[in-house]
Amino acid sequence: MNMIEAFLSAGSDNFLLNVVVILIKIAVVVGAVMFHVAYATYFERKVIGHMQIRLGPMRVGPHGILQPIADSVKLFFKEDIIPANADKTVFKIAPIIILFASLSSAAVVPFFEGFVIADINVGLLYIFAMSSMAAYGVVMAGWASNSKYPFLGGLRSSAQVISYEVAMGLSLVGVMLLSGSLNLTEIVHAQQQRWYGMFLFPQIVGYFIFLVAMFAETNRTPFDLPEAESELVAGYFTEYSGMRFALYYAAEYIGMIVMSSIAVICFWGGWTLPPVITNAVPALLAVPGIVWFVLKVYFHIFLFYWVRATVPRYRYDQLMSLGWKVLIPLALANIVVTSLVAYFV
Amino acid sequence: MTLKNIAKKIFMLEILKGMALTFRMMLTPAVTRQYPKEKREAFPGFRGLHALVRKENGDAKCVGCGLCAAVCPSRCIYVYTSEGPDHTKIVDRYEIELLRCVYCGFCVEACPFGAVALTRHYEYSDYSREALYMDKAKLLANWDKYMAGKEGEVYFKRFWRPMSEDFMAHDDQPVLRGKKSAAPEAVQKKETNTEKAQGELSNAA
Repeated sequence: MNMIEAFLSAGSDNFLLNVVVILIKIAVVVGAVMFHVAYATYFERKVIGHMQIRLGPMRVGPHGILQPIADSVKLFFKEDIIPANADKTVFKIAPIIILFASLSSAAVVPFFEGFVIADINVGLLYIFAMSSMAAYGVVMAGWASNSKYPFLGGLRSSAQVISYEVAMGLSLVGVMLLSGSLNLTEIVHAQQQRWYGMFLFPQIVGYFIFLVAMFAETNRTPFDLPEAESELVAGYFTEYSGMRFALYYAAEYIGMIVMSSIAVICFWGGWTLPPVITNAVPALLAVPGIVWFVLKVYFHIFLFYWVRATVPRYRYDQLMSLGWKVLIPLALANIVVTSLVAYFV
Repeated sequence: MTLKNIAKKIFMLEILKGMALTFRMMLTPAVTRQYPKEKREAFPGFRGLHALVRKENGDAKCVGCGLCAAVCPSRCIYVYTSEGPDHTKIVDRYEIELLRCVYCGFCVEACPFGAVALTRHYEYSDYSREALYMDKAKLLANWDKYMAGKEGEVYFKRFWRPMSEDFMAHDDQPVLRGKKSAAPEAVQKKETNTEKAQGELSNAA
């Protein structure tokens, strides 16, 4: 493990070697993320099934373990239908934009010490930019389908994402103030310097706002208005079928994974454990960091499922008033208090 | 807004309660029955696949009166009869179109001789329409297959009371068929019922 870490983080002067290392990293990250996307769909169905006292998928392989493979094969061979009156170019570009916007967010996520594809200084800002880009995919799909339900879904999505982007950005300002950096690796290091080791404790308000905004940003229940099945058929991707539909589906789960990773890195100390615990039990330091990181991310993804199985969808005006009247003032208050504390303490 | 309500809102107590419930439910065993693997016995008296009752001598009990066909709401029973050599009625064809049947059980109820039955077998889906069109031979085979032995013997006694068993007329009318198995109290009750009905009739008149 350490050898691989040393190899991957080696700052080499050899340009070609750097390119090869980055390509390997990209392949590893994309492979791991896509694998998790496939099995996130499976575990979502399983977890929600059991929460509703059902079993979930059971037929493909033991306990339905091969279900994601069956699903992807099915989607791959399905007919690709494009509506006759659709704006064909935009219709084809939209799923590509949303998939690549969410997939490229994973580029700045440090999975463990030294393992990050692009260790840039404005990591958090880049994540926000990419999640705003993903909203374009949704809006363009709604527009290009030339159909009323996707259009309504696209409109709702643009309004929702703009509102919650603000709250989400503000909720992370507290973390930036405490760590003094936008670089995700440095945010984790800053948390390591404190005895509690997680910004979750001083930034509990910020974490709460981030969680709510995270649900809205990824269009998940209770804020899944852009794809509200009961009102809008399937929302913005109603007219999509086959592989293009699968791209939207994958993008949603990649968004969940990336958002969970951001929550883990900014509030849960990333791949590290709080120094209090590691000082008490030094043996835990022997466990590779990726294990803690992955466990924390799994908890957040489970939270997505858990909330989806519990909370009904918000009404549209409730969604807006929650965003503008509760979350944004709360986030601003959190910034004021945090900066005062950070300045005087 | 009281302090309690504010606290409820801030800590989202209701949502947390709901999440506790869903988490508890996740740990309880599922109620799903894995159908083709674990099959469930149909309840006694379940109205499934049709069968024609076979007599001891091997013939169908059906006399071809056509009451089942007359009462059938979806008109899916076809009975064709002809006159035999010694002026008896012969049932040439007795056919049920399963795809149109609604499984109301009126045919069983209407039959005066208990000659048609609904078995507890319900897994007979097929790819062809022909396989779901029952003729007399198939219906008799159904009886042999699903109502063999004790099940067929007790079937009518438990779930249906054919008129041949239970038919009752009031006293001053010629009795066409004897009542066989009703208890004396039940007879008494029945008589009073008929009297009452008659009284109502005369009142109406």
